[in-house]
Amino acid sequence: MSVLQGPTRGRAGGFSDWVGPAAERRREVTDAFLDTFAAWGYEYIATPLVEPLETVAAGIGGGRQADLFRFMDGDGSLLALVGERTVSVARVVAGQLQGGRFPLRLSYAGPVLFNRPPLGGRRREAMQAGCELIGHAGLEADAECVAVAAAALEAGGLPGVQIDVGHADFIPSLLAAARLDAGSRARVAAALRHRDLVAVEEALEGSEAGAAEKELLLAFPTLRGDRDLLDRAGAQLTDPEPHRVLAELGRLWDLLAAHGITERVHLDLGAVRDWDYYTGPTFELFSADLGFPLGSGGRYDRLLGAFGLEAPATGVVLHVDRCCDALLRSSGENGRRPLLRLGHAPGREREALAAAARLRAAGVAVASELTPTPDGGGAEGAAEAPPPTSPGGSAHAVGPGAASRSARVDSTGTLRWRWHPHSGTGLEGLLAAAAGEGGR
Amino acid sequence: MSGATAARHTLRIALPAGALFEEACSLLAAAGVARVDPRRLDRHLLAVDGDTTLVRVRPTDVPVYVEMGACDAGIVGKDVLWESSRDCYELLDLDFGGCRLVLAAPEGSPLAEGRWPQPLRAATKYPVSARRFFDSVGVAAELIKLHGSVELAPAVGLADAVVDITATGATLRANHLVEIAEAGRSTARLIVNQASLKTRSAAVTRLAAALRGVVAGGAARQPLGA
Repeated sequence: MSVLQGPTRGRAGGFSDWVGPAAERRREVTDAFLDTFAAWGYEYIATPLVEPLETVAAGIGGGRQADLFRFMDGDGSLLALVGERTVSVARVVAGQLQGGRFPLRLSYAGPVLFNRPPLGGRRREAMQAGCELIGHAGLEADAECVAVAAAALEAGGLPGVQIDVGHADFIPSLLAAARLDAGSRARVAAALRHRDLVAVEEALEGSEAGAAEKELLLAFPTLRGDRDLLDRAGAQLTDPEPHRVLAELGRLWDLLAAHGITERVHLDLGAVRDWDYYTGPTFELFSADLGFPLGSGGRYDRLLGAFGLEAPATGVVLHVDRCCDALLRSSGENGRRPLLRLGHAPGREREALAAAARLRAAGVAVASELTPTPDGGGAEGAAEAPPPTSPGGSAHAVGPGAASRSARVDSTGTLRWRWHPHSGTGLEGLLAAAAGEGGR
Repeated sequence: MSGATAARHTLRIALPAGALFEEACSLLAAAGVARVDPRRLDRHLLAVDGDTTLVRVRPTDVPVYVEMGACDAGIVGKDVLWESSRDCYELLDLDFGGCRLVLAAPEGSPLAEGRWPQPLRAATKYPVSARRFFDSVGVAAELIKLHGSVELAPAVGLADAVVDITATGATLRANHLVEIAEAGRSTARLIVNQASLKTRSAAVTRLAAALRGVVAGGAARQPLGA
């Protein structure tokens, strides 16, 4: 029988298993993000995978409910698997934490799910880690979110990520200043949302839009640069609202300079974001190795109002799985935490287990050989027993340097070890060799 | 620019195999982007000229390569973008490869005489666009998705009509089909990956400007090796 006719034992389309070094890396990247958020004073909270549909819709808008996995509760009310987690944080703040001391700094991590057709390469489940700064309306809060995101990515092994900073009010302010009739304005806005410059040109052609606004709208994909961009854009505009936005971005740039990260920052006045959800500065994080943003964020001062608490807020979400993709592309491998295999002669379990405990406490990953082996030839050879194979026959111990790290307690109770390129006897020497390369 | 953003220097462009292919190659040559003999790309699928890498893929795959970031940019017909749910920037109308999506029915059929059958069964390779078209004219049509030779469907009774692309109308006439209505007009477009626009913005902007210059100037486009 052809394998194509056999029973399908696969996963649902668009879902992934994570195994081996990739799984380890995904966990490490998530931890690095959460540890960074904690180091900046963000308190971790956990929220459910399931929310009432109306709660989720308050975040992503009614129009995108079709992207969610939806189902019915026992009483007939509609539930959804979360497609992002900021709305859950907002719900918690408006409910349980509204009496707390503002500003609140909260972080989270967890899977989000999308019920999109599983087209090749698109995930339907993704790990996200993020932080929210709630109760502060100032640009200092926006700058902190950008900086904490940059720090988190660096801690996750992605230094030098490009940060694009835009403003949710800029394009709408241009549309207002352009004095378009309602129909043209709706057509231009729709074309911008679809990132379709050809349609923007068609919609603006022959319209009564002001020349300066028209020129900027037609250049929307290329309105990028450093602080000088703000002056160049502002020189062409007369309405106060776009000038307010540009001035805000100027002050934000100066705050980012104080954080020391402006060399990675590009201002992007034409950034296409959800202009109904975001209410101020927005940002996106890019790596040259990946065709998707690694993370994004921005100010969303209206969301908490949907839960009855008027409070300004800003935040960032990092896409852990995409970060892992970018790390794999840039390094070509998933890395593997070095593992020491520790064996022992018959009757020497106690010494071997005690040594393992000391090594683990020092940060060395140790796997104990479960079966004692009689002493072999010389000291070097004894420490290099062949790696055991798994029941399936494939050796899971492969990986750079995996075979060159081994130790064994011989029948005299002596610990003999090999930690490439060193070897010796005794636990203290082994700990020193491990510490010599950072322990792990 | 940081170290990470300088990882890959070349710009990758996806070109559609088929009707638009030679013209896309000559447009890129005229714009000074890359000079590649289309016959060479026919055999090798991938060609490098200086800082530019060109790949030849099926037209419907161009948005896939671009959305996923395997290519920074692509040239593809708007008719393909109508059907695609891929998320890319559409930067430029390249003003070649013009064609129209039309509803057509057999000569002498009720539809050809202005009477729309209810329900109407239409065969098409373009179900998304056809659905939008029928919704816009308020007709509840039953769509039959085919992968080729759509014109055959009415002749053998599979469908009352077809929704298909036509450039000159010759194929419709040869199959005794007459145009009932136009659903849309298509030309070739330049599309760009959302991250490439940000991380390779200088190169992408140069590409778009060079192509825009040729399109606006209507410069003669001689196929290489012709």
